[in-house]
Amino acid sequence: MLKVTSLYKSYKNHKVLKDVSFTAGPGECVGIVGSNGCGKTTLLSILAGAARADKGSILFHGREAVGHPGVFAEEAAYVPQENPLMEELTVKDNLSLWYRGSRKRMEEDLESGAAAMLGIGDMLKKPVSTLSGGMKKRLSIACALSNHASVLILDEPGAALDLECKADIRRYLEEYKKQGGTILLTSHELLELSLCTVMYVLKSGSLLQAKTGLGEKELIELFT
Amino acid sequence: MWMCLVFLKLELKRAYKKFPQMFAGAIALLFLAGAIALLAGRALYGDVAAGRIAVGVILPEDALAKQMVSMIRSLDSVKSMCDFQYVKQEEAVKKLQEGTLSAVMDMPEGLIQGIMDGSNPSVRILLPGNAWLESRIFQELTEAGAKILGASQAGIYAGNELYLASGQAERIPLMEKELNQIFLSYSLPREDYFRHQRVSATGDVEIPVFYGISVYVLFLMLMAIPVSGYLLPYRHGMRQKLTLAGANAPIRVLGRILGLGSLFFTMSLLMGLLGKGLAELAGSAKNGSGGIMGLVKDLGVEEIFGNSFAGGKGAAVLPWAGVCLLLLLVCLTAAAFVVFLYQAAGSLLGGIMLLFLAVTAQHFLAGGFLPEVFLPEALRKMVPVMPSAVLMGGVQMAVTKVWSKNAAARLFFLFLAGFLLSVFLESRESKKG
Repeated sequence: MLKVTSLYKSYKNHKVLKDVSFTAGPGECVGIVGSNGCGKTTLLSILAGAARADKGSILFHGREAVGHPGVFAEEAAYVPQENPLMEELTVKDNLSLWYRGSRKRMEEDLESGAAAMLGIGDMLKKPVSTLSGGMKKRLSIACALSNHASVLILDEPGAALDLECKADIRRYLEEYKKQGGTILLTSHELLELSLCTVMYVLKSGSLLQAKTGLGEKELIELFT
Repeated sequence: MWMCLVFLKLELKRAYKKFPQMFAGAIALLFLAGAIALLAGRALYGDVAAGRIAVGVILPEDALAKQMVSMIRSLDSVKSMCDFQYVKQEEAVKKLQEGTLSAVMDMPEGLIQGIMDGSNPSVRILLPGNAWLESRIFQELTEAGAKILGASQAGIYAGNELYLASGQAERIPLMEKELNQIFLSYSLPREDYFRHQRVSATGDVEIPVFYGISVYVLFLMLMAIPVSGYLLPYRHGMRQKLTLAGANAPIRVLGRILGLGSLFFTMSLLMGLLGKGLAELAGSAKNGSGGIMGLVKDLGVEEIFGNSFAGGKGAAVLPWAGVCLLLLLVCLTAAAFVVFLYQAAGSLLGGIMLLFLAVTAQHFLAGGFLPEVFLPEALRKMVPVMPSAVLMGGVQMAVTKVWSKNAAARLFFLFLAGFLLSVFLESRESKKG
């Protein structure tokens, strides 16, 4: 369960987030949409603990995360838009960099956990530089989920991926939702947004709830 | 903490994945530098043989003059760098114009007689209009010689005048004899002093060793160019994730410095082993054999690597382990400086350009190309703070094995400055949204 209350963030005189509040429960997928530069990435960074809010509260299962990096580390799995991978190293090296837990647990995950579902086990010895964009994105998700977090935060997961990769990732996200995980994602793609059970539009720093299943035209109208 | 250790280990692994590129780059750099040196040498000297100065001598119809030239020719200082040829007036001018002679000495009639009777006729020195290095050296030598001779003669003439003015002309021969003895008693020990003590523009090390150290330091920093990809600042997402995982700006910068520094160290050891091999080959090469082995000897490879890798000739204050640690500190310091430059540039091309320009410019200001004493006064004040000068001081310690607290402290401060400035830039990037 994620509860966000009155988040504020500004860069110099520009107010990026103003009184942002929402909740997301287990098995829910929250979509955040908005025009380019509206602050979606900033919001996700704050929710993942990678950036600090000026004011506000973030509760993961009732635990306050603001000012407690350990809570973010345990409860949030963050997949930024750019893959956080060391290109020269192998998949296994990258997994070991981000993995939180014992080697045994990592082996188990590769056998039957998130890493297995994402097909990471088959490419362990490959250098990341030789992987396709979709494989890299899958690896990024697997790395993020190595802490077995209950909230998965994805910043435009399907950006620059081909249709097959996008479909693979959507399938995995559906599975994650079914298993009781909470997903927070930003996207500009309707197919990805179709996964969302709750939809918000970020406009002028404020978060406004929108209907799910809206078409392209209606969404664009909401942005302007 | 555990994640930080894993991160540092993986940064090292990542760096070593770039080792083949660095090795190939170093070889390319070596060929490039060799070609530049060769072309520069040709441009400077053309077809004129460098090293010895060919001097033409025009003799008068005077048997004593030839004897005197033979005497001058046999002087150590002259013998060490000049080759005398007897030529006619017309031939001398022609050879000067052709560049086969660097200078011509036109001996006057009655030179010896003139010296004996005090009329001192001048020896005319002819130099080519567009003087090459050899001609300029000869000009400096003759001017210096004339000044020394003038000073000693002034002493004699002053004595003469004093006795003449006081009406004691009969005592002049005795005074000249005594003054000659006194001059000799001072000048001979001084000559002996200069035979055993060498004063060099390059300080405590000999010229080939100095340039060996200078080239090594320059290479060390430029060797980062082939591995520029490794030195690119982290992408925003990576930076965010690393911060989340506990690898903050100082840890990230430390990872980079350790990675690049260890690459530099490995390359240095390889170059050292290569140098040692060459030094052994050079040692077994016959004197004046020419070719590559002759060049190796000329470049002082034997002195540089023979000294630091085969026991050393000087005061062995630093033990082997100390030399290795010092070399490691030099490599880490160079890495800290390079990492800072890439952080400041922020992009691949910008990093390469900034590294090349900053390294070559500050290497010049550090007296790496021209020793410090030849730099203008204003620039000389900047030498101690130039990174190349600090690094060269560290390498000099490793080569001579003589510990210098001051040089070690400067090395440490440069490392610290590079590290802290890089951390500052990395933290500033992290704060950007």
